[in-house]
Amino acid sequence: MKKQRTNRFLAPLTALALALPLPFATTGCMQMDEELAAGEVPLQPHVADWRDEIIYQVLVDRFADGDAGNNFRVDRTALGKWHGGDWRGLEEKLPYLEELGVTTLWISPAVKNVDTDAGFDGYHGYWTQAFLETNPHFGDLAALRRLVNAAHDRGMKIILDIVTNHMGQMFYYDINGNGQPDIQTFGGGKPGQDIVVNVTEYDPEFDPRGVQARTSLGESGPAKVVFQYDPASNHVPPDLPFFQTPDAYNRKGRTFNFDDLDQLVHGDFPGGLKDIDTRRCEVKTAMVDVFARWVELTDIDGFRIDTLKHVEHEFWRFFTQRVRQRLAAKGKTNFFMFGEAFDGNDALIGSFTKKSVPSHPNDEALGGDLARENAECPGEGPPLTGDTLDGVFYFSQHFQAFRDVFRQGGPTRNVETLWNARRDNYGTEPHADGTGLAPTQTLVNFIDNHDVARFLYTGAGAPELPEGRDRYLALKNALLFLMTEDGIPCLYYGTEQGFEGGNDPANREPMWDGNPMLNLPAYDTSGDLFSWTRRLTRLRRGYPALTRGDLTVRWSTEATGGEEDAGMLAFSRQVDTSYALVVFNTHTSNESTTAAGGVTMATGREQGSVLVDVLSDAQTPYEVGPGGTVAVTLPPMSGAILVPREQIVSGL
Amino acid sequence: MLGGDLTGRPGRDTDIVARGSRLDENTYLELEFRREDYWKKTDSNTQIVATLAFQHPIFHYNGVFDGVVAMRNLYLESRDLLTKGLAFWAGSRMYRGDDIYLLDWWPLDNLNTLGAGAWYKFNEDRTVVALHGGLTRPQDGFFGQTVERPLPLNQVGAAQVDILSRQKFIGSLKLNHRIQLGEKAGAKGILYAETHQLPSGQRETDAGRFDRLSSDSGYVVGGQVGAWTGERDTFVNLFVRYARGLAAYPDFAAPGQLAIETADDGITEYTTSGAHEFRVALGANYEKGPIGVMFGAYFRSFRNANPDLDLNDVDEGIVIARPHYFIGEKGGIAVEASYQAQQRGVLTPSPEGTLGGEGPAGLHSAGLARFGIIPFLSPAGRGDYVRPQIRAMYVITLRDAGARALYPQDDVFGLRKVEHFFGIGAEWWFNNTWSYGG
Repeated sequence: MKKQRTNRFLAPLTALALALPLPFATTGCMQMDEELAAGEVPLQPHVADWRDEIIYQVLVDRFADGDAGNNFRVDRTALGKWHGGDWRGLEEKLPYLEELGVTTLWISPAVKNVDTDAGFDGYHGYWTQAFLETNPHFGDLAALRRLVNAAHDRGMKIILDIVTNHMGQMFYYDINGNGQPDIQTFGGGKPGQDIVVNVTEYDPEFDPRGVQARTSLGESGPAKVVFQYDPASNHVPPDLPFFQTPDAYNRKGRTFNFDDLDQLVHGDFPGGLKDIDTRRCEVKTAMVDVFARWVELTDIDGFRIDTLKHVEHEFWRFFTQRVRQRLAAKGKTNFFMFGEAFDGNDALIGSFTKKSVPSHPNDEALGGDLARENAECPGEGPPLTGDTLDGVFYFSQHFQAFRDVFRQGGPTRNVETLWNARRDNYGTEPHADGTGLAPTQTLVNFIDNHDVARFLYTGAGAPELPEGRDRYLALKNALLFLMTEDGIPCLYYGTEQGFEGGNDPANREPMWDGNPMLNLPAYDTSGDLFSWTRRLTRLRRGYPALTRGDLTVRWSTEATGGEEDAGMLAFSRQVDTSYALVVFNTHTSNESTTAAGGVTMATGREQGSVLVDVLSDAQTPYEVGPGGTVAVTLPPMSGAILVPREQIVSGL
Repeated sequence: MLGGDLTGRPGRDTDIVARGSRLDENTYLELEFRREDYWKKTDSNTQIVATLAFQHPIFHYNGVFDGVVAMRNLYLESRDLLTKGLAFWAGSRMYRGDDIYLLDWWPLDNLNTLGAGAWYKFNEDRTVVALHGGLTRPQDGFFGQTVERPLPLNQVGAAQVDILSRQKFIGSLKLNHRIQLGEKAGAKGILYAETHQLPSGQRETDAGRFDRLSSDSGYVVGGQVGAWTGERDTFVNLFVRYARGLAAYPDFAAPGQLAIETADDGITEYTTSGAHEFRVALGANYEKGPIGVMFGAYFRSFRNANPDLDLNDVDEGIVIARPHYFIGEKGGIAVEASYQAQQRGVLTPSPEGTLGGEGPAGLHSAGLARFGIIPFLSPAGRGDYVRPQIRAMYVITLRDAGARALYPQDDVFGLRKVEHFFGIGAEWWFNNTWSYGG
């Protein structure tokens, strides 16, 4: 508490209290930290180099319940319902996260959501209703500011999740014109008749003409859009006036074919989430105003942006540049904006970081053209350039490395092949007023997240593990990869506790239940996975080569059988004189080595120098042989971090 | 009470603080049935009291042949049975001391329990000790949960089983001492304390899954000093009261905004620990000649158990006065003026939302002023507290922006800066002569 706040009406009450000789007359003065109640807060850059950061993804509703007063509609019996986690709970658990060694928290969207819809709750935060209100389940602005301040006090940063592609279930399409939302059935289904089609007016399938009104007598033009009004579930019109008009939305219905560009970009997101017309200048400027405002009011450090590929590239050029410029003018530089394109297509993912215009065939097909964009919607600031996002989630790596190699034991050559395409597929130059780093350097690596099954999940829908493969060892090796490769690691909450949920919402377990499968209490810091992760974060932060070093692949292989190098992968990282060589054996059962067919792994180090495996308990030394080569032999599903003996940092 | 806001809508309580002016309160009626006996064999007295209460709306307003009815008293009291000055009672009872009439409020003690008690008057009735203990079990999931279970012994069907049923115990102790000042005047001092106890329990959250509810407790300490002239109804009372934990919350409400604690075995528990309420209040009346002035004021500070400030954390208060001018013995005219304000533990949103405009402008505060004129007829003669009384009233209320912001969208109270109220009402009461020490 820094300063007691007073206001005009307390004066007469205070006078009354003072007039009476009461011992407790001053006990009732309400106080709030000046900074928490201020109109705006001073903005500062809190990050020196984003590659130094280790991101930890938090589903706020599931992480910690610190404020029972905001447990509205909580139902902990179903994962699709509100569970009661909030910002205060997260703030109270910062010591746990600090102990784990993560440095940046990616938190759920903070905006007010549709509270509940079709039996599911908006606990995840992706169902925006009010852009300018905090989610009351998570806390108020003071609680968010308190979290951000507490994180900054510990040297931690906060990244806010935002959504610009869609709103929550704001309206329905009155297809039959009867003024109420229906589920209609068309077609008889018998031979000679139309097939039976069920159409829900909340979420009808995509129609490139726009959702059409129709009855049994045929179509009758665009269906009327009816905004819902049910305050109890917060189905009320959005808080920005323009978003209360049908023009703000594409109104084409739900995407069902993600390979169709029109559907991909202009269709409603499955679940009735209404697609915003992000080509409109009013929308572009509103989104900049809204989300820059969240930064100005909280001093958060970055945006994680949802559903990138469902929005035109031109929107991202406008949004990122105008946000950067506005924040930089207020002192907030090095603000990190990265996004989610849930896709295995490396070129598509990378296109959202490239300066070239058009940056992808999708961009070209949608008319990406800087001259037009500057003419139609220049916004405030210098002419728009090709600058765009600082980074993206490395989804292609999630599939090709974490899933195919580290979980399934596939050929490690695939990792090298993927990485070799990076310079072609991703932006290679820093963006103006941005992080100072090229997107190729700040890709966000992740093992799993809230949209995919957890790494440890083994049930229906997950690829079957090879026989004999220990999933815990596989995860530990994946964690080693995550914490040693270049880019920015992002850890999904609960990974360190061995959570093993399947797809959404099974992968959104409450942290406060602990892990009964492993007999771990809540927020345990003694378990094997927690200890391993903590050790890796310390090593990453202790060796500059592991954060900022350039990466060179030293060994990869197609071999996955009984070959001597089956499953081996190695890369070195170096910045200035700091050097590290990271070696993996991803094979299920073979002890393998970085030598095969008479060729031994090159290290880039001089013959005779000694590298020490700082990951091994024995601190195993390796002497570099002729030609700077070394053969590292590892047990199945294990790894090593070799650093020059003279560079060893003790106590990590 | 009948009236309206001069636009055709019915009158409505405009106060924003917990206890405001009673002028625009709705119709309320208590029918007290009482039998008093003197028992010659034991040289003692008893009274049996049953009080039936009705509240608005009544039949002639909405045509519904029904009523909102409650039994506010149902108890038997025995006096002077074991020794002179000692009384025992048992039953359901409104158990309270002095009020502030203008606010319709008992600032120090106002208990409603199913209980029993005793009081002892001694020292020529100048000293009273009153002890009471009682139970409540409000209708809320915090206190009770009933579930269906199969009938035992292979029967078909279901039975209702109380998984959770925890009663709140409230005990109180009151010490009251009066002193005589001259022939008619006097003064008194009261010390007061309560204890609130709630046992632990369990609540079923899913079939076969139970959440533990920890035991909880709270207390009240307070006091009152008062003085009177003995001339008509001139007096002054000053109240101070501090409540903590469970006792800081209203008696029949489930405590909200709780504190989260971790038990020794790692289980998360929600408790009222840390909640507190402080009150200081003043009630007074002065009468001389054709003039009478009633006065009331209080300051109240409530913090719920949640350690952060939130909407339910509030500082509030009111200053209110009602001067009367009596025209002879049959009536007169009164005016009432009050100012009330509060501050809540949330940031003031701008019209564009919490994050819109210039951002929050500090904690939310609200205030309103009220002025009324009340001509009245007083068949029983003059006096601020003399009833019955038939009266007309016009009250104007001036709200600031903060007060308007307390109401939801489209509520006229959220739209109007100025509120009018015109009403006609009647008020009367009969005091119970058996006092336990108020």
